[in-house]
Amino acid sequence: MVYPGLFPWLQSLNALAGGFFLLCAFGLVAVRQAQDCLRLFVAQSLFLCLSAFMLGILLHSSDLIVVGIIDFISKPVVIPWLLRRTVGGEVHTRREITQVFNIPTSLLIALALTIGAYLFAMPLLRAGNAGELIGSNLPIGLAGLLIGAFTMAVRREAVPMALALISMENSAFFAGIAIAPDFPLIAEVSIAFDVLILTFLIGLLTRAVHQQIGTTAVGELTELREANQS
Amino acid sequence: MNLILVLLFPMTAVLLSLLPLEKRFAPVVTLLTQIAVFGMALNLALQVSTGRTVIGLANWLELDGLSALVLLLVTFVALTAALFSWGYIFAHEKVARRIRFYYAQFNLFVFALVAVPVLVEPAFVWIAIEFTAMFSVLLVAFGNTHEALEAAWKYIVLMFIGAVIALLGFLILFWAQKNAGGGLYTWEGLRLSAAHMSPVLLKTAFLLILVGFGTKVGFVPLHTWLPDAHSQAPAPVCSLLSAIKTTVALYAILRLLPLLPNAPIDIWMQTIGLISVGVAAFLILQVRDYKRLFAFSTVEHMGIIFVAAGLGGKAGGYGALLQMLSHGLTKSFCFLAAGAVLLVFGTREIGEIRGLIRTSPVAGLALLFGALAIGGAPPFAVFLSEFSIFRAGVAQQHYLVISLLILFIVVAFFGILLHVTRMVFGKPAPVNAAAPGSVPFSCTLALVLAVVPVLVLGVYEPAPLHKLLTFAVSNLTGGMP
Amino acid sequence: MDKRILFNLLQVVVVLLFSPLVAGVTSRLKEMVQSRRGPSIFQPYRDLRKLFHKDEVVSERSSWLFRFTPYLTFVTPLFVTLLIPVLTDYPLFFAFMGDMIAGGFMLSLGGFFATLAAVDSANPYGPMGASRTRMVGFLAEPVFMIVFFTVSFVAGSTIPFIVQQAWVTPPVNFFEPSHILLMLAFLMLIIAEGGRIPVDNPSGHFELAMIDESKTLEYSGRGAALTKWGGYMKTFVLLCIFLNVLVTPWGVAHEQTFAAVMFAVPMVLGKIFCFILVLVVIESSLSKLRLFRIAEFLGAAFITSVAAMITKLFIS
Repeated sequence: MVYPGLFPWLQSLNALAGGFFLLCAFGLVAVRQAQDCLRLFVAQSLFLCLSAFMLGILLHSSDLIVVGIIDFISKPVVIPWLLRRTVGGEVHTRREITQVFNIPTSLLIALALTIGAYLFAMPLLRAGNAGELIGSNLPIGLAGLLIGAFTMAVRREAVPMALALISMENSAFFAGIAIAPDFPLIAEVSIAFDVLILTFLIGLLTRAVHQQIGTTAVGELTELREANQS
Repeated sequence: MNLILVLLFPMTAVLLSLLPLEKRFAPVVTLLTQIAVFGMALNLALQVSTGRTVIGLANWLELDGLSALVLLLVTFVALTAALFSWGYIFAHEKVARRIRFYYAQFNLFVFALVAVPVLVEPAFVWIAIEFTAMFSVLLVAFGNTHEALEAAWKYIVLMFIGAVIALLGFLILFWAQKNAGGGLYTWEGLRLSAAHMSPVLLKTAFLLILVGFGTKVGFVPLHTWLPDAHSQAPAPVCSLLSAIKTTVALYAILRLLPLLPNAPIDIWMQTIGLISVGVAAFLILQVRDYKRLFAFSTVEHMGIIFVAAGLGGKAGGYGALLQMLSHGLTKSFCFLAAGAVLLVFGTREIGEIRGLIRTSPVAGLALLFGALAIGGAPPFAVFLSEFSIFRAGVAQQHYLVISLLILFIVVAFFGILLHVTRMVFGKPAPVNAAAPGSVPFSCTLALVLAVVPVLVLGVYEPAPLHKLLTFAVSNLTGGMP
Repeated sequence: MDKRILFNLLQVVVVLLFSPLVAGVTSRLKEMVQSRRGPSIFQPYRDLRKLFHKDEVVSERSSWLFRFTPYLTFVTPLFVTLLIPVLTDYPLFFAFMGDMIAGGFMLSLGGFFATLAAVDSANPYGPMGASRTRMVGFLAEPVFMIVFFTVSFVAGSTIPFIVQQAWVTPPVNFFEPSHILLMLAFLMLIIAEGGRIPVDNPSGHFELAMIDESKTLEYSGRGAALTKWGGYMKTFVLLCIFLNVLVTPWGVAHEQTFAAVMFAVPMVLGKIFCFILVLVVIESSLSKLRLFRIAEFLGAAFITSVAAMITKLFIS
């Protein structure tokens, strides 16, 4: 049992984790080095854990604490390790990676997506009689999802794309821990497991692409098309 | 009990396939497993066709009409694919380790596919569908060529994006149910509490799941991964991917329809379906790769099923499910035929193949039959199901939808036949020297096995199947059987 | 009432007297962080005295603008001082003369004339620095605006004396995401506006790489002294806005007594020194950005501020 006077503090800490979670999503669109992408992703996962712990205490849900612990182990620790094992040194490269748009444009589009996510979330919050906790987590989760998808579209390198993918899953979770705190625990564990499989597969594919084609800019592969076949 | 075994068998087969024993051990195990699983599924489906839900573990593993239908389709296609794999893999792959790896992946993939209809909790169905994607990525990349890797990359990325969007949809569904006073988080429990749920949340959840799983089904404009992945994987895997992996994702979407009896989603479904059918029909005209031809045909048929489901009512539902069944059976046959052609000619280019019927009568006949069957010519199964859809549409006075649908289907039929007749007839073209050259016996057997239901269902509908379909339609429309 | 006028004037005196000290401490700390000894913290006072005693050289080609600008850059921060809480947490006599936007405009008025004077000086580096400063300036402007609007949305007022209490009543509000994000955005603004690394290097001597400094290259004697002093005061004022209005209103006087206000002087200075330590660490651990990357830096600041705004605006 937690002293009730602490609740507003935990609530605003949760909201704060949300704010930084969103900033990390923005960072993933914008930063120039693959290494920074990894760091931002780790930071984002940690904020997700923080939010899960806060909500676990606030809602008296031991499931959420377990979810937080699983995330704490899998995302900031195991996923970077897996990527390093499968992809190799590419993960920590300080090489600058290119983008489709320039950085301010990407940021502005991401901003527009965020505002769109808030507008989209408003009727949902009203319909679901959402309290403050859902009010802070659901829109940020939606925004993170959209920004992650956008990151996938503008990035060309394998590792940042993979991280953007997992950050989308982070965002769905971020919304999920608030709106469905008693979601079946086995499901949540399997989702975490699924993410690990995804990371492993992406690592293997990236290495195969690197060996076979000699690049990790998987976004630039365009062999398979209707038009350019002779 | 059988429901648990249906899941346990493929899982055991995964482990057994990995054992470093004789080269033929893994194929034998896989084939026996698929036969056993199909037998059990048939038995279960017969039980279900009497109109009662078979319960394995209450609220976990249950089988009603709709899921029994899908289970039957999945296990049959897996059986033919396992049989076809035998000859196909030995012709292409000599390394024992890679063969074991192929079969382990194959069984894992089948395990995930079987799990989808058997599970009743949406969260677990989500995971099962996600695992069907994750476990098939390495099969798509099996060729390890530039194209295969590119296809696998696109495949995994889009699959996961779709999964995450659908996950959010399921979370919102859970939230909506909790707000409506709770209840069991199963398909049935959701249907019961749907009336109390907030319509906004319900519709949002449906929309998110539609977009998310729509990516996995391959609705235009989210179909870009489909022709790539379905053309690069080994032929038996293609048949699993195209015939049933897309179908199980569609199954999960269709499962939500009873939750929304009053929402105006019919028009959405008809529009989405028609766009897919139309775009795919015109893309079929300009393909240069015969596996991509069938892949686009999958996009087209998924659209047709969705239009039919969108027509609503018992007749529309019946047409949709019949189409789902006949498409699954026919498309798996088509891809096996394409695999046979690949075995003979060693190329996927339509332009490099001529006179197939003389080079290899088996492959030529199979391809011709497949093309006619999937295009919807009588007396094949697809003709019957498409016809029942037209009838349902006309009866409900959706004249515009039906006339557009007919137009697109005719275009697609024309496109498929145009390409296939060029390959089948004419003066034989030189064969790629690296190709195995002939169709092994097991592949021929698989082709024969696969074509039987395609022919039978075109002229005759067995009574238990009719009962099963009626039960399934009642699951779809939310009424009692 | 007369007490409030007195305190208000006292603020001006404090800013006048201690702003060079803040500059001195900054450069000393920076040298120390980089394991060097560095100049005395009173070096800026000596510099100013030396410059005031020197003769001024003014180009014949330049106009009145060039001579007028140092006085303006010296005076504008003093006016802003009247509007913001430097030492007290209650509104002083001139508090309602203008709000935060007025303060921002006043500061940019000084910057505007400095730019004009730089162009007027006919030194080739002057216009270059001027155009660069404008670039930084107009990229920073939207961030300023959003920060101010968000703050005033929270407080329901744009008067800095009123705003300062909004974030800490109740104290849990301090941790609101919008507050933390705004602090982050404003920190980036201070770095950009103050010409600090990674945007600009204040201690660089390479004219081609300069942004802020090259505008004042032509000044000598009294003009140079006034410009420098004005710059110190501008930094001091920005730090006060940041620390007293946005971050923490703690440490400033609450009672309307002379003793409390006098006691606030060392408290506020201590707060500023602590913050300078943070700033110095940031400066020492980063390298200067290429000129066109500054847009990205300020873009990040903009995103942060807008994120702060929408987390506040949509939820409440």
